[in-house]
Amino acid sequence: MNTVLDLLKPRLLSASNALLRSNKKNSFARIAMFGFLGVIFWTGVFIIFYKVLNYFQSVQDFGTILAMKLLSMIIMIFFMLLLFSNIINFLTHLYLSQDLPLLHALPISAGEIFTSRWLISLFDSSWMIFTFSMPFFLSYGIIYKADLLYYVAFLSVMIFMCMMASSISGMLVLFGAKILPAGRIRTILIMLGVLMVIVLVLILRLTRPEQLVNPDTFATVVTYLNSMQMPSSPLLPTTWITDAIKAGLNHQNKVLALNLALTASFSLMLIFINSLLAEKYYFSGFSKSQTTAKRLFYPLKSNNSSWEDFLNGLPRDAKAFAVKEIRTFFRDSSQWPQLFLMGALVAIYLYNFSVLPLDQSPIKTVYLQNLFSFLNIALASSVLAAVAARFVFPAVSMEGQAFWIVQAAPVSISHFLWIKFFLYYLPLLFLAEILIVISNVFLQVSSFMMILSALTLFLLVPAIVGMAVGLGAIYADFKSENATQVVTGFGGLLFMILSFSLIGAVIVLEAGPVYAILMAHLRGHKIAQIQIIWAIISFIMVFLLCALATFYPMHLGKKSLLPHQ
Amino acid sequence: MITLTELTKDFGTTLAVNKLNLKVGAGEIYGFIGPNGAGKTTTIRMMGGIIAPSSGKIIIGGYDMSQNPVAAKQIIGFVPDRPFLYEKLTGMEFLRFCADVYHVPQNIFFVKAEGLLKQFALWNWADELIEAYSHGMKQRLILASALLHDPRVLIIDEPMVGLDPEAVHMVKDILKTLASKNTAIFISTHTLSIAEDLCHRIGLIHKGTLLAEGSLDDLKKFAKLGEARLEEVFLTIIKENTFI
Repeated sequence: MNTVLDLLKPRLLSASNALLRSNKKNSFARIAMFGFLGVIFWTGVFIIFYKVLNYFQSVQDFGTILAMKLLSMIIMIFFMLLLFSNIINFLTHLYLSQDLPLLHALPISAGEIFTSRWLISLFDSSWMIFTFSMPFFLSYGIIYKADLLYYVAFLSVMIFMCMMASSISGMLVLFGAKILPAGRIRTILIMLGVLMVIVLVLILRLTRPEQLVNPDTFATVVTYLNSMQMPSSPLLPTTWITDAIKAGLNHQNKVLALNLALTASFSLMLIFINSLLAEKYYFSGFSKSQTTAKRLFYPLKSNNSSWEDFLNGLPRDAKAFAVKEIRTFFRDSSQWPQLFLMGALVAIYLYNFSVLPLDQSPIKTVYLQNLFSFLNIALASSVLAAVAARFVFPAVSMEGQAFWIVQAAPVSISHFLWIKFFLYYLPLLFLAEILIVISNVFLQVSSFMMILSALTLFLLVPAIVGMAVGLGAIYADFKSENATQVVTGFGGLLFMILSFSLIGAVIVLEAGPVYAILMAHLRGHKIAQIQIIWAIISFIMVFLLCALATFYPMHLGKKSLLPHQ
Repeated sequence: MITLTELTKDFGTTLAVNKLNLKVGAGEIYGFIGPNGAGKTTTIRMMGGIIAPSSGKIIIGGYDMSQNPVAAKQIIGFVPDRPFLYEKLTGMEFLRFCADVYHVPQNIFFVKAEGLLKQFALWNWADELIEAYSHGMKQRLILASALLHDPRVLIIDEPMVGLDPEAVHMVKDILKTLASKNTAIFISTHTLSIAEDLCHRIGLIHKGTLLAEGSLDDLKKFAKLGEARLEEVFLTIIKENTFI
């Protein structure tokens, strides 16, 4: 056990050194900012659940059933999130970390290395879910006037649930590393990405959320109540966890004790089995992961043409960077699941617009369609900002330790950044325009709204990409083991805040004149001259704002990457 | 070809390079030696345009690195001490990338790339991803890429680290040939036998300051040693910490 604790020390010391020895003023500001945002989010979650549960309580007979259904759904979601988060962390900590060869050269057993990494993964994967589950359970406790035992119960089952999810993930990862050919460990990540999409869709479908708010679809109240009260399988750990919390809420101490005992014993048994499996299989899996990674796909050889020919119009150095960027991106299998997820999100986004029951609305349809179309600009831009955060913001950091090649090359940093900009600008512009045009077609909006939406996105895309590349350069981390994670840091947060602020500002600037024009159109009135001037000034301001957001962060990014005095 | 004037790099807590003055002519191999932390890599990184000096000038082939970095870099072949590369490209793709960035004529690229890959024993690995290369293979690939555009100035930080004896021998031959064709070569190393075998002149840096400079014979005289190896000269000068 002492060895395991020793193995945890580098992590603890690195964290404390990062905190104490870095620029104190800067690190304090970061902690304060993250802490503040965390508290706001935590409070927001609490208020939402408190209000929802309060509302449920006001619904006679159904209230408690709905609340309990929500409880089981949320616990299922927490469990799945923990499972996936643990798998990803396990893969990194057990097989991909750069310090592993050093650890395996030390006179310690593979089991001890596994246990120390298991503890780190358990913490990394669970702390956030654990922290943000608190307001959820707290709101239940307050609404149901639970006693101290409930709070002890939910804290205990949450800890056991985290341990359980971590152990199951550990077994899955051990098994995956054992059966897959050497060097294919990252393939698991691809499979996970696809699996995650499927499981998410399945969870959404299986919980049938639409039925919770639409009892009309049931023949009778009895069938509705029956379907809501349908018990989950007693063999599932999530059922024991849910039952333990329900028992805590309802002061059923014996039921609580039984389910708590089931949860605790099962999680401890899993840890025990996991350690046995690790002792036997971890090292061979690790050894396999250290061998040369073979390519999943070899390019089709063609003497006549290549996709690179499409880039022939670019200046030579720009083409070189573009080809390098595209190859690196698509050969990095950890990017693929993210692409699948993005594709799924876009499909869901468009699907939602296609099923909007506009004709059933009591509000005048034309008004509603145009209102939705206007809100759609904000929604599509937000999707774009999220995509940019994931793919564009880390683009500079993705150069990694090979950034010296760019620094030593006869290419200016400004040129390098603008190449990055255009590489992402074009596909994102295409994505944004597709999103907005197709969703507007589903909404059957007026041609004025269609042009306005397309034009606004046309201005917002370079602004968002410019901010992502520029801030990504300012907050670049070339030493990170996983450059895609830089977006979870301070710079990523700042980018998201600034992007949403920009989107908000553009919407606010456009809302007034657009409303005036639309209402005049709906009422058959002529647009007043003052409204035209107002519209022109607003759109000029939108243009200037977007231009500033495009160029200024790029300028700052260039300054920050240039060799400093 | 290389002129460093009063070159200084102050990291705030450490004065890494202190008023360094040196010149390297065309066809000359200049060895830059010194103990760990002496300021060798910092000097090399400033010469490659990777970090900016706190003060002083770097002139490469007549171009001022601070005023005209792109033109200066165009004539440099730069080899860092650690072979970080684009792991998801193949060796041949990486050379193509370098050729495009350094504007190597398209019509001669393939012949040059094939020649270099064969010379550095990487031809059979040309279509494999760099992530599958060993440390030594990556080092050889960087050397090959640095020579692709026929640089007039070659700046190499620890050229032999990670190379097998055969490759070391080959690199020595290549450097000598390049020097005979008027390429200025600046090598930083703490492998003294390399400096002894290869370099026309040697500069000895310690704690950021150039303590001694000249041919091996000059340094022996400076250290007041007769028939001695560079190692003894090095240790004597470092011990006495004498300024030029």
